[in-house]
Amino acid sequence: MWLSASSDGWRGPDRFVVIGNPGGRRVELFQAALNDLRLPAARVVSYVDLLSGKEALPRLVREGTIVRIESPGKDFEVERALIAAGADAADGDERFDRVSRQAAQNLSFERGRILYPRQWYLGYFATLRLIELQMAECPPHYPFLRPLHQWMNSPAEIALMFDKIACHQALSSRGSPVAPGLSAINSFDELGERMKEQNWRRVFVKLAHGSSASGVVAYQTDGRRHQATTTVETARQNGELRLYNSRRIRIYRDWREIAELIDALCRHRVHVEQWLPKAGFDNRTFDLRVVVIAGRACHTVARLSRSPMTNLHLLNERGDEDVVRERVGRAAWDAALRNCELAMECFPGSMYAGIDLLFTPDYRRQVVIEVNAFGDLLPGVFWQGQETYAAELLAMENG
Amino acid sequence: MIYEHITNFAGKPVKDWEAQSGIQDPEGACYALRLSYEEGEEGQRWTDKFAAFLDDPSSNRVSGIVIGDWGVLSSATDETSAPVVEALVAARDRLPNLRAIFFGDIIGEECEISWIRQSDVSPLFMAYPQLEHFCVRGADGLSLGTLKHDSLKSLIIQSGGLGVNVVREVTAAEMPELEHLELWLGTDEYGGNARVADLAPIFDGGLFPKLKYLGLRDSQIADEIARAVATAPVVERIRVLDLSLGTLTDEGAAALLASPAIARLEKLDVHHHFCSEGMTAKLQSLGVEVDASEREKPDEYGDEVWRYVAVGE
Repeated sequence: MWLSASSDGWRGPDRFVVIGNPGGRRVELFQAALNDLRLPAARVVSYVDLLSGKEALPRLVREGTIVRIESPGKDFEVERALIAAGADAADGDERFDRVSRQAAQNLSFERGRILYPRQWYLGYFATLRLIELQMAECPPHYPFLRPLHQWMNSPAEIALMFDKIACHQALSSRGSPVAPGLSAINSFDELGERMKEQNWRRVFVKLAHGSSASGVVAYQTDGRRHQATTTVETARQNGELRLYNSRRIRIYRDWREIAELIDALCRHRVHVEQWLPKAGFDNRTFDLRVVVIAGRACHTVARLSRSPMTNLHLLNERGDEDVVRERVGRAAWDAALRNCELAMECFPGSMYAGIDLLFTPDYRRQVVIEVNAFGDLLPGVFWQGQETYAAELLAMENG
Repeated sequence: MIYEHITNFAGKPVKDWEAQSGIQDPEGACYALRLSYEEGEEGQRWTDKFAAFLDDPSSNRVSGIVIGDWGVLSSATDETSAPVVEALVAARDRLPNLRAIFFGDIIGEECEISWIRQSDVSPLFMAYPQLEHFCVRGADGLSLGTLKHDSLKSLIIQSGGLGVNVVREVTAAEMPELEHLELWLGTDEYGGNARVADLAPIFDGGLFPKLKYLGLRDSQIADEIARAVATAPVVERIRVLDLSLGTLTDEGAAALLASPAIARLEKLDVHHHFCSEGMTAKLQSLGVEVDASEREKPDEYGDEVWRYVAVGE
């Protein structure tokens, strides 16, 4: 009902504003979803223009405009601009690798290179804050509508989702099942000590601000042996250890190499949690990506993998949902969906997110692995006949 | 890598044993005893769970058990299977009907197969003379001892690398009823240091007179094994030859094709192999049942070609 709440605006050009990368797949798919529902195309604000001040929301946002914030990813110019935007941001703890604004602007593209993710996050955080401040200057939304409707997802909550440590805490404090975490790990030595204290032999070390499988290491030790499974590659250049994401899974067994890798990741802030055993299916390990829309678990994808990393973009396969559901059992499946919905309650200002969730090998227990702010890009996956973007728009219409 | 707990063993479905539901079908199902992640975290011990299982009024009728994680997951250090062996041996009189033991249904997500710390399992063979099916997963620390067993029909050792010491224990064993012998040989990187010559007593055919199935699986020397076994006397006696999960290439496959004895088998299993499409087709037209599925492609880095067994690590 709210999509048509404004008689003049409903088919007007100011209905939607998308902040994203123009020409990118996400923006294109959102426009296509609008078009399919016979809604006007969204005005697109690029991150680059927003950051340079060339564009500002008060110029575009009218009464009743809905703002959608899309991923800034897959665009090197934007990545560089966000790193530069984070150059002057104060960090409570200055131990993480930083680069000057000037140097950030001069960075050149290298495929897969992991560039200053902590500073990138600070820059993105500042950008989300800027979006929020600009919105405060815009005409108010319809006063009779909940504030949720001004945004599809609130900037503050997107920031929270991009901080794996804070997100893990938020989930945990609200009773969502998560893997136990280790806070404030700054080195491989510290990691080893803390694992020993906890009696753990397996952990995931993830960049606190990486997206999907960026900078993830599955590490295990029994005190004698060490093994790290990862997509991260290292290369030394001019005395500097550079990190790269690759599509290939590598296994390191030399603890010195593993220490170097984990120490390097720690310089960008890491989140560590226990690597809980995942259930298998069809001779693979699997987990679920569930898109929760307006409080309801909708689109689901079972991601199958031969490695501990199940992320879709690592060329992993999708499992047939019906077959997976049958194998898991109705009760466990329903519990999984409920857990995803519960996880979204941590984000009352967000309409949607992609939740990653694992089943333990007996399927009886489910654990939320991650909440992805932009985890709704699942073209070709349908729920009640709709792809994700359309389902979001329809949920707003019916909300 | 192994991704799922077994659902069938010794021809029976596997059910997780739980105190609440108890033993419903002692003869028709195998009962799995495993510490779940939560139980491990709560400090429960496998042996306590096993004791509770034994207290179930139907435990004396149970015919098969599956031993899952015995606490490896919740322990930062080595946790060998020795206490489990000890507990099973101590329970011999309470499990008079036990015919099948799967020792170590632990998947890769719980513990890499080469990291499973096994132990000397020979006391089990002495404690359970009526045992017919024995499968063990993980070869690190494993010993079968001097194996003499009059009832054992199937012996399966799953590993990512089977040490020559264990292979020699098998080839020195006396198992007159053995019908199914399955060894996952793995790679030398994980301790799989047995050579073809070490398998010679098996190839000669007289070792296990009732052998019907021979599996030399998951091997990095699958071609050499194929060449040796193709013309070996043992092939004349068995019905099924299983060289699956390994690194078989056209070379080994050609030796199999050239052997008239292979064409008289009931089944040849080579699934997970590195043969060419043409060779795969030739294998499939052997006239016997052939599983040549999962044709793998080697990884190539520059001049290096890597062929991986299905279960390493």
